[in-house]
Amino acid sequence: MSFWSQTLEIARVDLTVERRLGDTMRIVLPFAVVAMLVFPLTLGVDLTAVSRLGPAVFWAIGVLFGMQVALRQAAHDDHERRDLYALLGVDPAARFAGRTISGAVLMAAFLAVLLVAMIVFYSPRLPDGWPGPVVLSAILVAVGLTELGTLAGEVTAGLHNRTALASLIVAPLALPLVIGSSQTLEALARDAGILPWILVLVATDLALAVAGVGLARPLEEASR
Amino acid sequence: MTRVKVLLAIASVAMAVGLWFALTAPADTLQGDFTRIINIHAPSMWLAFLAFGLTALGSAMWLIRKQSRWDRLAQASAELGVMFTAIGLFTGMVWGQAVWGRAWDWGDARLATTAVMFFVYLGYLALRGATLDPTVRAQRSAILGVIAVVQVPLVYFSVNLFRTLHQTQSIRLDGITMPREMSIAILVNVVAFTILYAALMLARIDLAKAEERVAAESALAGDAVKPPRLSEVKDV
Repeated sequence: MSFWSQTLEIARVDLTVERRLGDTMRIVLPFAVVAMLVFPLTLGVDLTAVSRLGPAVFWAIGVLFGMQVALRQAAHDDHERRDLYALLGVDPAARFAGRTISGAVLMAAFLAVLLVAMIVFYSPRLPDGWPGPVVLSAILVAVGLTELGTLAGEVTAGLHNRTALASLIVAPLALPLVIGSSQTLEALARDAGILPWILVLVATDLALAVAGVGLARPLEEASR
Repeated sequence: MTRVKVLLAIASVAMAVGLWFALTAPADTLQGDFTRIINIHAPSMWLAFLAFGLTALGSAMWLIRKQSRWDRLAQASAELGVMFTAIGLFTGMVWGQAVWGRAWDWGDARLATTAVMFFVYLGYLALRGATLDPTVRAQRSAILGVIAVVQVPLVYFSVNLFRTLHQTQSIRLDGITMPREMSIAILVNVVAFTILYAALMLARIDLAKAEERVAAESALAGDAVKPPRLSEVKDV
């Protein structure tokens, strides 16, 4: 099988597992929506503040809970499955790429639902022409977070404190994604160019992709 | 241990000289004596960058050579880097409180990115602490050590990339933008702190070797029998 065939097959298997288990859409997503409800409750009836905070809360919750989505995906990769892939001769880089594709698809769906929830609950005043840049930045955030989650999931595989440790690794490294995505909307509202912030997201995604593919073999050795 | 003691003695003398330079350099017209904090702040941050750079070097070399000395270098350097980052952050915040009127300012990109770098390497140390098998620990932390180093240029160039309160670099390739006496005091302190760093590095590496010896001696009899790793048998 070629690299891309392996990649797509792994992505397909991952998405099939997620469809059966439903961790992201049945557990993490409702939890994230509840978290979204908590912010306005703590602010009281200040509707202006709630409206202004909406986009910031969306990105903050999107990234924090998105980390959980990415790490849940990595958690499905147990020792037996890793050994099976190794015995089948699956390219470790294809495994990383496949995991990134399936995770990004899931994360994009997760962020899409979260965006609708934010618009309903917070009634934010979004600048004209927001859908395109927001969708683009959400997709780039989804890819970057999945790459980070996959890397962190591999280096923490099998550890008893894995969830907390992987989150500690992902959270600070995800900051360029948070800055890039939130500033895209800010720049749009100020009528400034969004290209620099989109480039920050693209550069982060590319750097993580290079790291993930380049370090795929050591990662595979480390996680077994 | 002798070389560590010699280096520590040299570092003590150098730091005493550095302190003398720091206290006798002229105070800034506007900031007064608070400007002397820079003699601790700047060397600490320089050493944090150096330490994390060496962590990345040790990590990369471990991935290539698989020799434990590179892992010891990465570990020792990361621990010292976190310590110097903490000192740099703290002294920066003390200075900020005195000069800006607040210890933390979101308008300062250097402060925020440095804090992020601090937490990235705390995660690195947490990963090391959580992994018991020395080979797996070295492999996993080496991967993270190589990735985490991207924070260093991000912190260094944050003053150029973002609009920020923090001043841009004062000592540059095209010249020095601060009074001569002040820059000499900072350079003397940079040298003194670097000698201290070298001494602490050697001491920590010696300690890591001693830890490895103790771990090897205290191994249980049953530890000698291990199932083969898949990576060792898959080609059979």
